[in-house]
Amino acid sequence: MSFDRPKELLKPVKRRFIFMTLLLAVLVEMIPLPHGSTRWLPDFISLVLLYWLINQPRRVNVGVAFLMGLVADIATAGMLGQHALAYSATAYLALSRQRQLVMFNLGQQALAVLGLMLCNQSIMVVARMLSGSAFVGWSYFLPPLIGALLWPLLTKLLLLPYRHHSV
Amino acid sequence: MDFANTPSFFRSGPKPGTRLLLCALASIALLVGDSRYGLMEQARDGMSLVLYPLQRAVNLPLGMVRHVSDYFTVQADLKSENDQLRTRQLEMSARLARLETLERELNELRSLNAIKASRNDAAQLAETLYTGRDPFSYKIIIDKGADAHLQPGQPVVDGRGLLGQITRVQPLTAEVSLIIDKNQMVPVMIARTGERAILYGYGGGVEIRYLPLHADVRENDMVVTSGIDGLYQEGTPVARVSKVERNAGAAFSRITTEPLAGVQQTRFVLVLQQKGQTPPRPAEPVVPVKKTKGKKPADSE
Repeated sequence: MSFDRPKELLKPVKRRFIFMTLLLAVLVEMIPLPHGSTRWLPDFISLVLLYWLINQPRRVNVGVAFLMGLVADIATAGMLGQHALAYSATAYLALSRQRQLVMFNLGQQALAVLGLMLCNQSIMVVARMLSGSAFVGWSYFLPPLIGALLWPLLTKLLLLPYRHHSV
Repeated sequence: MDFANTPSFFRSGPKPGTRLLLCALASIALLVGDSRYGLMEQARDGMSLVLYPLQRAVNLPLGMVRHVSDYFTVQADLKSENDQLRTRQLEMSARLARLETLERELNELRSLNAIKASRNDAAQLAETLYTGRDPFSYKIIIDKGADAHLQPGQPVVDGRGLLGQITRVQPLTAEVSLIIDKNQMVPVMIARTGERAILYGYGGGVEIRYLPLHADVRENDMVVTSGIDGLYQEGTPVARVSKVERNAGAAFSRITTEPLAGVQQTRFVLVLQQKGQTPPRPAEPVVPVKKTKGKKPADSE
């Protein structure tokens, strides 16, 4: 797998496809998994969201991130507003540097995504600790690392339907 | 020259900064409203209703896999399991017969002494839909809710012991806070001595706090509910004492316990009825004294 960003001309992305991928991420998030796996599984909703934020900034903006955060809050049975706050702040950070991010190759993008997802987790930790929860330990910051490692794969996967020769 | 790199000359709507401001304000309002005042229950109910079919859809393939593997169980396994269950049932029926006579006697004694029999044994079986993904809280979601007339506060058990308590009821589902959740407390007693204490969840485990150094606690002691809170039936097994540390410098002994119920593994759970309405408090100051006795056994010594 080459880490260069795709140079070919792509077909325009359908709104429906963005919606479908976000829905899929929510579904993945809701699969009942053995207990230990949630300690290292990355947050798929934020990964897919970041992909669309970086690649389709005019379709997916801070507002969409906020809405997805609300859905994530309900799906994870957490505190309402925790994911929403983290996602919208991360979305803002991603959008403010979007023109640079989109020029990076996939390795550099993965690093940037690592930073963004760490920021995501930190906001959630701070929000929860301010509302009286105990600190959950440093393993809470493991999922962003795995998410960043999955970033190149995710990018290639989400590009698949938009290659001209694939149809 | 990929599509994603097309410069956007005309942005529609407000700038990202303003959007962030709006969204951040909205989410902080939600956070405060949810955590401090519990204002968002209605909205949460509605959203959970919308997500319920999704949840079911996600669970469907898993359930099918389970069905198929159930179907192809080896006959020998079935046979041995059947034998086990049969012997267990024999044991149980013997114990039950004894229990029934005891219960009858107890009820007679109670009626003689004009004490109301408050035990309500109705229970509802529910299935775990999923465990909450939130690493900060230990909760499971079960597939019965307001439709089965569940109420917040009802105790939830599995085959081995107390699992937790229903903390939130939604139209079709309910949230069970496990005993290992932080902020979850269970009034218990040591089964061997009858010494009362409070079992605190600390997020990932349970421990008994505030037992004095000279309290008679040993390793492998069973901890059962004491039933003095009007919520849990007395005598439900909760935990087993795994370690007792007595440090002369500390005021209380440090007692580590392990929950008995499969707190993270159970698939089927039983929702019990609350112990029943506790009678209204008498006016004498006897009751507050009793209350502190339950919370701080140090005073009762």
